[in-house]
Amino acid sequence: MLVTIYRVIKFAWQGFWRNFWLSLVTVSIIALASLTVNALLALNVVADSAVTSLEQKIDVSIYFDPVVDTPKVKEVQDYLGKLSQVTAITLVTADDAMKEFRQRHARDAAILETLEELGDNPLGATLVVTAQHPSDYPEIIQVLNHSPYRDLVSDENYKDHQRTINEIRLIADRINQAGIAISALFVLIATLIVFNTIRVAIYTHRDEIGIMKLVGASNAFITAPFVLEGVLYALCATGLAVAVTFPLLNAVQPYLQDFFTGVPLDLAGYFRENFVAIFGSQLLGMSALNMVGSVFAVRRYLKV
Amino acid sequence: MIIFRNVSKIYFPERTVALANVSFEVLAGEFISIVGKSGTGKTTLVKILTAEERASEGQVVVGGWDITHIRSREVPYLRRQIGVVFQDYKLLQKKTVFENVAFAMQVIGARPSRIRKIVPEVLKIVGLADKHDRFPRHLSGGEQQRVAIARALAHGPKILVADEPTGNLDTATSQEIIELLLKINQIGTTVLFVSHDEGRVNQIRRRVLVLDQGTLTSDEAVGRYRLS
Repeated sequence: MLVTIYRVIKFAWQGFWRNFWLSLVTVSIIALASLTVNALLALNVVADSAVTSLEQKIDVSIYFDPVVDTPKVKEVQDYLGKLSQVTAITLVTADDAMKEFRQRHARDAAILETLEELGDNPLGATLVVTAQHPSDYPEIIQVLNHSPYRDLVSDENYKDHQRTINEIRLIADRINQAGIAISALFVLIATLIVFNTIRVAIYTHRDEIGIMKLVGASNAFITAPFVLEGVLYALCATGLAVAVTFPLLNAVQPYLQDFFTGVPLDLAGYFRENFVAIFGSQLLGMSALNMVGSVFAVRRYLKV
Repeated sequence: MIIFRNVSKIYFPERTVALANVSFEVLAGEFISIVGKSGTGKTTLVKILTAEERASEGQVVVGGWDITHIRSREVPYLRRQIGVVFQDYKLLQKKTVFENVAFAMQVIGARPSRIRKIVPEVLKIVGLADKHDRFPRHLSGGEQQRVAIARALAHGPKILVADEPTGNLDTATSQEIIELLLKINQIGTTVLFVSHDEGRVNQIRRRVLVLDQGTLTSDEAVGRYRLS
C-alpha cells in the first residue's frame, strides 16, 4: 500500500514537471480564475466600506423642551444608550445649541437682534443618536415614545430624514444583493473555467491513459496521479494568486482612497486579516474542483 | 494456453463480420504466426484476447480462464497475464526507457528492489541496457519496438502477443525483432506473432494460422503463408 502511495505521488510529480508548459498554462488559468474572484471580493469590500461609511453619517436628533434641565437629558441619554441598536449618543446642551446657532447665523443681524430681545435661551438640549443600522431608527424612536421621557421631547427629525434614510438603505441593500448575484456568477464562471482547463489538460494525456490500461493498470492506479496533480495545480495557482493579489491591492489602494475620499479603505489589510478564510477556501475549492474534474475527465479515456 | 472455440465478432450497426466461427488452440511454449491480408480480422482477434473487444459468439479461454464474458474490473488482471507489443509501440512518451519497462511491473505492485533487478535484465535481453535513461522520442523505431517488447516481458507473462511488430520497421530491424521474439519463445514464453508480411512469416517456419475475411482458412504446424 505504501509503495502504491509513493508511486502515485511520484507519478503526479513527474506528470507535473515533465509536462511543464501544460502545467504552467493550467496553473495560470486557474490562478486567473482565482484572481477574478479576488477582484470581485475587493470590489465588494469597497462597496461595503462605502455603504457603511454612508450609513454611519446618518444620525437622528432628539430635541428637548427648553425647560428640561441637563441632568434629566443625561438620564434619557443613559436610557437610550443602553439599547443595543444605538452605537453613539451625543448630548448637545442648550448652551452649546445656542452657541452653535449664533455661530451659524453670525452674519444675520435680524436673528441676533431677536435673540437679544428674547433674553433667555429659547433652545433646548439635543441628543444626537447614531444607530447600528438605518433600519434601527424607527425602533429607537418607538422606544423613546413609549418611555416615561416622551413628554420631555419637543421634537425629533427622524421623519424629516426618513426618506433619505430609506433611500440609503435601499441603495445599500441593492448593492449587497448585486454583490451576491455577481459573486455567484463569477464563482460559476470560475468553476466552469477550472473544470474545462482540467478536462483539456487530461485530454492531452488520453493516449497515455489508454496505453496504461493496455499494460494492465487498474483504473484507480491510473486516475490517482492525475487527481493528485490537480491538487498540485490548485496549490501552485493559489500561491500565484497570493503573489499577485497583494502587490495589485497595494497598487490600486491610493487611487481608490482618492476616489472614495472619507471612506476608510484598507484592502490589503482586509485580505491579510482574512487570509486563511479567503485563500484557504480558494485552495480547498479549487482542489476539490480539480479532483472531481480529473476523475470525470480520466474516466472518459479509461474505456479501453 | 489459449483456446478460441467458434468465435465470431460482428460490429454493429453495420453488421460487419470481423471474425466468423474461428476455432483454434495454442499450446504452452508454441510460436504461432497469425497471418492474413489487412482487414481479415487479425487485430480483432488480438483485441478479443486482450479484452479490448468482446466476442459476439463462441468461447475464449486464456490460461484456463474463460474470458468470454470477462467483467471490466477483471480486465487489468487478464492484461497482466499477457504481454502485448503493438505496431505503433504505444510507449509512454513522458517516461524514460527504464520507467516504461518498470511501469508494467509497478501496475502489478512489484517491489522497487525487484524492479531494480528485473528491468536492467530485460533491457539487456533486448539490447538497450545502455539507453535506459532515454525518452522514447530519442530512440529509433526499432529501439522503441525493443522497449515495447521489454515492457511486455518485464512482468514475466506466459503469453506474448506481437501485433504487426515489424509493420513500421525496415528489413534489417524487422529481422532483429523476429530473432528477439524467437529468443523469447526459446525461454518458454508462448508467442503469437500477428503479421501480413509473407516473407517474415515463411522464414520463421513455425505453426501458421491464416485468416481470410474473418474465417480461419488454414492451420499448419510448419506452415507457409501464400498471398492469394
